[in-house]
Amino acid sequence: MERFISRGDHVVVKPNIGWARAPELAANTNPDLVAEVIRSCLKAGAKVVKVFDRTCNDPRRCYNLSGIEESATSAGAEVRQIRRNMFTPIKLPEGKLLKEWEIYKEYLEADKIINIPIAKHHSLSRVSLGAKNLMGVMGGNRGSLHTDFDQKLIDICSEILPTLTIIDAYRILVRNGPTGGNPADVKIQKSLIASDCIVTADYLAMDLFSLPLHQVGHIQEMLNRSLNKYDLSRFNYMQIDLGS
Amino acid sequence: MVRLRRITQIVFLVFFIILFLKARYPYNNTLSSDLFLRFSPLIPIFDFIDNFSFSWLFWPAIVIIILTIFLGRFFCGWICPLGTVIDLSGKIIKSPSNTSSNKFDRLRYLKFAILIVAIILAFFSYNLWGYFDPLSIFNRVLTALIYPVGTLITENLLLYTSEISALEDPVYWLYDIFKEFIMPEKQAFVQQVFWITLLFVIILGLEKLSRRFWCRYLCPAGAWLGFLSQFRFYERIVGEVCPACDKCQVECKMNAIPEDDVAHTSKIECIECFNCGSLCPPKKSAITYRWRWKPYHTAVDVNRRQFITTSAASFITLGMLSIGLKDRKNKEKRIRPPGSLPEEDFLNTCIRCLQCVRICQSNGQCLQPDSIHDSVMELWAPVAHMREGYCEYTCNLCGLVCPTEAILTLSLKEKKKTPMGLAYFNKNLCLPFAQNVDCIVCEEHCPTPDKAIKFDLKDFILPDGSMKKVKYPYVVKELCIGCGICEYKCPVPGEPGIFVNTDNQRRLIKTDLA
Repeated sequence: MERFISRGDHVVVKPNIGWARAPELAANTNPDLVAEVIRSCLKAGAKVVKVFDRTCNDPRRCYNLSGIEESATSAGAEVRQIRRNMFTPIKLPEGKLLKEWEIYKEYLEADKIINIPIAKHHSLSRVSLGAKNLMGVMGGNRGSLHTDFDQKLIDICSEILPTLTIIDAYRILVRNGPTGGNPADVKIQKSLIASDCIVTADYLAMDLFSLPLHQVGHIQEMLNRSLNKYDLSRFNYMQIDLGS
Repeated sequence: MVRLRRITQIVFLVFFIILFLKARYPYNNTLSSDLFLRFSPLIPIFDFIDNFSFSWLFWPAIVIIILTIFLGRFFCGWICPLGTVIDLSGKIIKSPSNTSSNKFDRLRYLKFAILIVAIILAFFSYNLWGYFDPLSIFNRVLTALIYPVGTLITENLLLYTSEISALEDPVYWLYDIFKEFIMPEKQAFVQQVFWITLLFVIILGLEKLSRRFWCRYLCPAGAWLGFLSQFRFYERIVGEVCPACDKCQVECKMNAIPEDDVAHTSKIECIECFNCGSLCPPKKSAITYRWRWKPYHTAVDVNRRQFITTSAASFITLGMLSIGLKDRKNKEKRIRPPGSLPEEDFLNTCIRCLQCVRICQSNGQCLQPDSIHDSVMELWAPVAHMREGYCEYTCNLCGLVCPTEAILTLSLKEKKKTPMGLAYFNKNLCLPFAQNVDCIVCEEHCPTPDKAIKFDLKDFILPDGSMKKVKYPYVVKELCIGCGICEYKCPVPGEPGIFVNTDNQRRLIKTDLA
């Protein structure tokens, strides 16, 4: 973590807290992982760590039932609900369909962003990973992003790329995503995928769902726009077995 | 005594408001938030008419009723929060004394008339009394007006001042307190707020004509308590030293002291505010209060003609309520909270206190006080407006706070399986059907573990002959619980591409829940 966080940084840790579901149902990021990431950020010298998400269900139920409010607060982060006056429009000069979108101010003002999505099935985007998780900092009418989803999502994402993406694949949701709710749809994978390049992380995580690239439009779109830091045909990644 | 009475009034008002504020997620109160609403002395009468039995659920009201037989209308003077607010309003807009408000005294029978009409209608299964129940009125105004307006002003004021950079930190500190204790949820928006407010403003405004105008002439709960206290044992005794200065008579809140006989009190009207004792010239102190085991009696001032006219009026009302058009198109839109009794029972049991609306505001915000479509009975009953909010899958709070059990208490497990309605696509608007583009936001949000909205992947041929795969959604009736998150989240502007109606709804009666 010291590689990414400098002393005195304002850090935003962005988990997925989108749904009013218990951690076991794999609809939200694992609260223990969130806490661990916050602790290592603070250890690395971060001044403040903020945690928030623009939820889909009732915000307080999501923060509460996901277990993230509790675990993140006890790990030393500032956990707050989204404030409706804190979205600022940003320009999207590279945007193909969108030229402007509202983004949460605290996200924009942070020195470092740690994006910690949970790996989930998603009917429209096929998988919900790093890029999809960034929808939690977007304002406006997010429903309208769902037509020509891949283009619009990447239009916005390309302007707000995180410092580090850690994909929580301890439990992954393989069916009925992104809400889940059935324990039978949860697969225990016990993995984490981390990269300072969101495209690389998402690309690697696609393997968990055995999906070919051409079926996952938004990751394909990121590659088409060369948002990747590394050449995906020949890059190094380490597979570390942490035992059981 | 007067000071003690004032403190008690404020304590009960604050207690009522605290219970109101506590009616929100996470609802883990030791005192249930509908407790105060069950103080309403009218509840047991109508519960008895409906079920021919007394429910222990309404023990607070039964305690009030028993005490009233001995003590008189102390509830009105000491406990009723609407009464307290009326007193405050009278102070502000300066109510006239009884010398000028005497002329309204022939209206006293009106409150009995309202009560009689309500009772006669109740025998024919139309319960309208909830509209006039003082506790219900007060809770309704808190839910629809006072709380939402208060939070709207406070939040905007705080957010506005937070933009002044010097004030940013202290203002956000205040804002966090506000968000923690006053409004952790979203700002509430309520339909029907104008009419609910109008009734309240009229009640307070009538103070300009006389003190406690509502309590003297209109309140059916006051009429019932007055009826019970005809023989009350606690009496005002006027001693020989009375200088007959008439101060107590002129200033009596309820005009309960007859002009021609200051030694007596109308037991039906007196609310035991003890103002008369404190107004009595100090050197004399002619007025004392004490128990007497042979009390005198005050007769209820409703004469035979008034009784007959009132009864006739209630039968006309009954006819009007019964012959209203029963429009199927309208009926299918009246989606009630999960666990509601069958529609007719529901409308007769619901007292329109809006406690369910209040607690829903802290979650999905789908419940709204209904407006009149076909029948007056629809007015202010809770109705789900899925386009403006949805029924939160993991929430069962409305059933926990219903004071009359018009909405039964469901466990979360039961609630998740009780359909409120069924979702239908409007394919003229739904984007995949109307424009052949992918969307399925409804499918994404559908909360049932096995999604009730599924989709079919079909080819669509573009004008240039090329093919495109599009996801066309559909509803699985057996899985849908009608929670309406699909309707709420549908990105089509205005009229949604998917909507919920009452089809497939499951209404419950108490015996369904073992």
